[in-house]
Amino acid sequence: MNAEAPAQHSFLSGTPLRILVGLILVVNGMFPALWILFTSLKTEAELTAKPITWLPHAPTIANYLRAFTDQPLLLFLFNSFMVAILSTALTLFISVLAAYALARLQLRARDLILSAIIAVSTFPLVSLLVPLFEIMRALNLLNTWVALILPYTVLSLPVCTLILVSFFEGIPRDLENSAMIDGCTRIGALFKVVVPLSAPGVFTAGILAFVNAWDEFLLALSFNSNPMLRTLPVGITLYQGEFAFPWPVISAALVVGIVPVAVLIVIFQERVVSGLTSGGIKG
Amino acid sequence: MSKSTTRIWLLAGAVFSLTASAAMAQQTNLRVFVSSQHRPDVWRKAFDMYEAKNPNVKVTIETGGNTSESQAQYLNTVMTAKDTSLDVMILDVIRPAQYAAAGWTVPFNDVLGSDAEAAMKRYLPAYAEANTVDNKVVALPAFADAMFLYYRKDLLEKHGVKPPTTWEELTAAARKVMDAEKDPNLQGLSFQGKAIEGAVCTFLLPYWSMGKNLVSNGKLSFDKDAAVKSFKLWKDFVDQGVAKKNIAEVATDDTRKEFQAGNVLFAVNWSYAWGQFQGGESAVKEKVGVVKLPAVAGGQPASCLGGWEWGVSAYSNNKTEAQKFVQYLSSPETSEFMAINAALLPAFADKYTDADVTKAVPWFAEAKPVVETAKARPVTPRYNEVSEIIRTSVNAVLAGTTTPEQAADQMEGRLRRVLR
Amino acid sequence: MATASETSMATAPNEGATKWWTRFLDPSERTLAVLLLAPAALLLALIIVYPVWRLVWTSFQNLSLTSGVPAEFAGLENYRLMIDDPVFWETTWNTILITLITVPGALVVGLAMALMANLPFRTKWPVRLSLLIPWALPLSFAGLIFAWFFHSEYGVVNDVLRRFGFEGVIWFNSANWAFAAICLTIIWKTSSFMALIILAGLQTIPRSLYEAAEVDGAGRLRQFFEITLPLLKPAIVVALIFRTITALQTFDIPFTMTRGGPGTSTSTLAMYIHQNTVDFLDLGYGSALAVVMFALSMCVTAVYLRMIRAKG
Repeated sequence: MNAEAPAQHSFLSGTPLRILVGLILVVNGMFPALWILFTSLKTEAELTAKPITWLPHAPTIANYLRAFTDQPLLLFLFNSFMVAILSTALTLFISVLAAYALARLQLRARDLILSAIIAVSTFPLVSLLVPLFEIMRALNLLNTWVALILPYTVLSLPVCTLILVSFFEGIPRDLENSAMIDGCTRIGALFKVVVPLSAPGVFTAGILAFVNAWDEFLLALSFNSNPMLRTLPVGITLYQGEFAFPWPVISAALVVGIVPVAVLIVIFQERVVSGLTSGGIKG
Repeated sequence: MSKSTTRIWLLAGAVFSLTASAAMAQQTNLRVFVSSQHRPDVWRKAFDMYEAKNPNVKVTIETGGNTSESQAQYLNTVMTAKDTSLDVMILDVIRPAQYAAAGWTVPFNDVLGSDAEAAMKRYLPAYAEANTVDNKVVALPAFADAMFLYYRKDLLEKHGVKPPTTWEELTAAARKVMDAEKDPNLQGLSFQGKAIEGAVCTFLLPYWSMGKNLVSNGKLSFDKDAAVKSFKLWKDFVDQGVAKKNIAEVATDDTRKEFQAGNVLFAVNWSYAWGQFQGGESAVKEKVGVVKLPAVAGGQPASCLGGWEWGVSAYSNNKTEAQKFVQYLSSPETSEFMAINAALLPAFADKYTDADVTKAVPWFAEAKPVVETAKARPVTPRYNEVSEIIRTSVNAVLAGTTTPEQAADQMEGRLRRVLR
Repeated sequence: MATASETSMATAPNEGATKWWTRFLDPSERTLAVLLLAPAALLLALIIVYPVWRLVWTSFQNLSLTSGVPAEFAGLENYRLMIDDPVFWETTWNTILITLITVPGALVVGLAMALMANLPFRTKWPVRLSLLIPWALPLSFAGLIFAWFFHSEYGVVNDVLRRFGFEGVIWFNSANWAFAAICLTIIWKTSSFMALIILAGLQTIPRSLYEAAEVDGAGRLRQFFEITLPLLKPAIVVALIFRTITALQTFDIPFTMTRGGPGTSTSTLAMYIHQNTVDFLDLGYGSALAVVMFALSMCVTAVYLRMIRAKG
């Protein structure tokens, strides 16, 4: 890791303070997740007991069993995962290309294009819902993964492009030029030099695109009514009843749905980022 | 091949394809949108019985979204895009007027015969009202529902109190029992104060009980005094400690959960709660009584109509078949079948006391008088806006951010803008 | 700027090979620009241009599905109605207020979190995970969870308050407390978005800069203001643009926490658009509101873009 800058935080390098800081971060980020975890182990009656309990009194895994049997949870996860991965890949590919053009090439219309790309994300999705539905129906794409992949890519395109633009601009041109002298094409230089050096940016853009796709509810509800294609956010609302909201079962489904993904990303990030920047020129 | 052989083959081919397409043309595929909450497995059996009697019809089920709201969201999108994939849809009782006005449903008048009114008279009167817009029958009832007053039989008996018939009696009964029990967790009355659809019923129950109708024939008839009295009734429960202070947070299932845990004396809720109260996890099994909702002093008891209706999509390619199918689904026989096998309240008055039904679900006999007092929420195409206005007003009054008088004023202004 | 020398450097390797596809691998600047931007442009044209065109067109029409009357051109009628609509002003004001509170809030918290997360921890994964989980939690469920946390009886927040001797607050009985609860939830959720982007930026600052500054005798605080912040500015601005646009579109959290209550005091513009479009089926008015939201977002974006341009 090149920029942990221990020199900057010399007074914090003392272990107790670092542990405290770490604890603050972990509690802040994980508290609701931990709460969901505990709730998933409680019975419904315990939720409305007073005074409220934090840790479950009689932990039960019945909710997890129900989470898998009440609804096809694994199917929801599979659909969400495929749609998210594919749209993330597409988003990254398209934004890397577009960001490179905007960062490196002196385009007169650069600002205009940037504004146009940002403008795209300013329309509330709910207003575009019906026309998009009509388009998907006209293209015969309803009840397919593609119906979601295309809009999700557009959803994340602006933020990913902008992040990549700011990262690409921070990389000195000499690096690409020396690669091209060594026999690389322009586009080759892009993928062999610029992208690896912007690994943190590419990775962040990737996570954002993935999570945007993972979270989306409205389009997934409207385009893919086929039960075999339901994604996680839509699927989780199916545990609800008209009036009932079974927190314990839904918590179990949430735990199954979210934690593995987050853990996978963290592991992936360690490998990817350190792997790509370790051989870098910076630092 | 010789010419004659060719001709024979051509003729055979023509005959074959004609009969094949004739056979296929006779096969109708009906796609039905059913709420996943209302026992689609049992409806499937009813569909199977229809398929058995009508071999050329095949019925497939589509379910989507678990709440009335998310189903409406889905259906609204699909219908606005004029999608032809759905033939029949199940609709919350509050939606037929809106769907008819948007041109999304096909009226039943032509298939019901010359006297559509008589046909509708077979159902409970409130359903005829809820499903008829501009003299057109736009949907037929699937099953019924209403709001009940649930009470703790054991606690009332213990303190020698009879089930109340007016709100004043309820307050007195609640006070007596709460003072005697001295249980800080015991609530006198639980009802819906959160800004959900149920809060519309909360406002209308006393309003109706005073004999007022908020909307008649699509026109607003707002009685300010009655509105203020209605808001005040509920606010007083909070102020006097009969209902808990944060009642504005309480949704339908919260009431049910708290009553089920034994912490509530009187609860206003829909019919689904009964099954839960008698279930394994319930602390109040066998201790629950059900009675009509109280009336205001000098008024009539009134309950809030619920239930769901079958409608035929205007964009369907099989309208006639679909209408026939819906008539079957809305028939007394299907109603009895669903009552016995899915515990869904019938929309026909006589089915409540039918021998087979009472054997399967004995409490339906007690439920009947309550359902008969139920009234339909305002039947207007702009119901969603009316609902939004009423429920936010109720929520604001119960949260204490507006007084009953202010709320009534604001409500009138906003309703007039919508309903003219 | 592609100087003559650069261009010749770029084409130098190919002087021997004149295969036709080299034009695509080493095209002129303009062709390259078109090639690189084409996929984005195509996708946007398909997914955005038609719906937006429909949206703007509908905003000029009297199209209410429940009126039973077919659509008719109405010019600026919807916009005129908007000006007289008190709910429009209330929801717009709520949206602006939420933006003004949660964008700086998330920035400060996110910046702090990123700086903290950048410390050399021996085990890094708990910290990384705790930045990621708030982001990975679906927005609507975050709203429901925090609604439960702020529940006056069964919620954790009041439980903690009571343990410290305070009385619990009935959060959703008052416009101000409900608003506070909503803003806290939004800040919690979006600060990890900011932190993720800023952390990525922090990780590309070369250590050598800090080491050089140390040698020059600059203290930690000066290093922060003169090295860290300026180099972080691009990442911060990007994060701010999208955080602001998303803030203007706030929907899920107030919707699931309060449904806009008490009354309409916590309702946002996006909720009002949703209501008019999906619930009331007044597509004309809903589209007009969406156009207004777009206009607001574009004004904000223009300000930010000027900031990017200013830095050069």
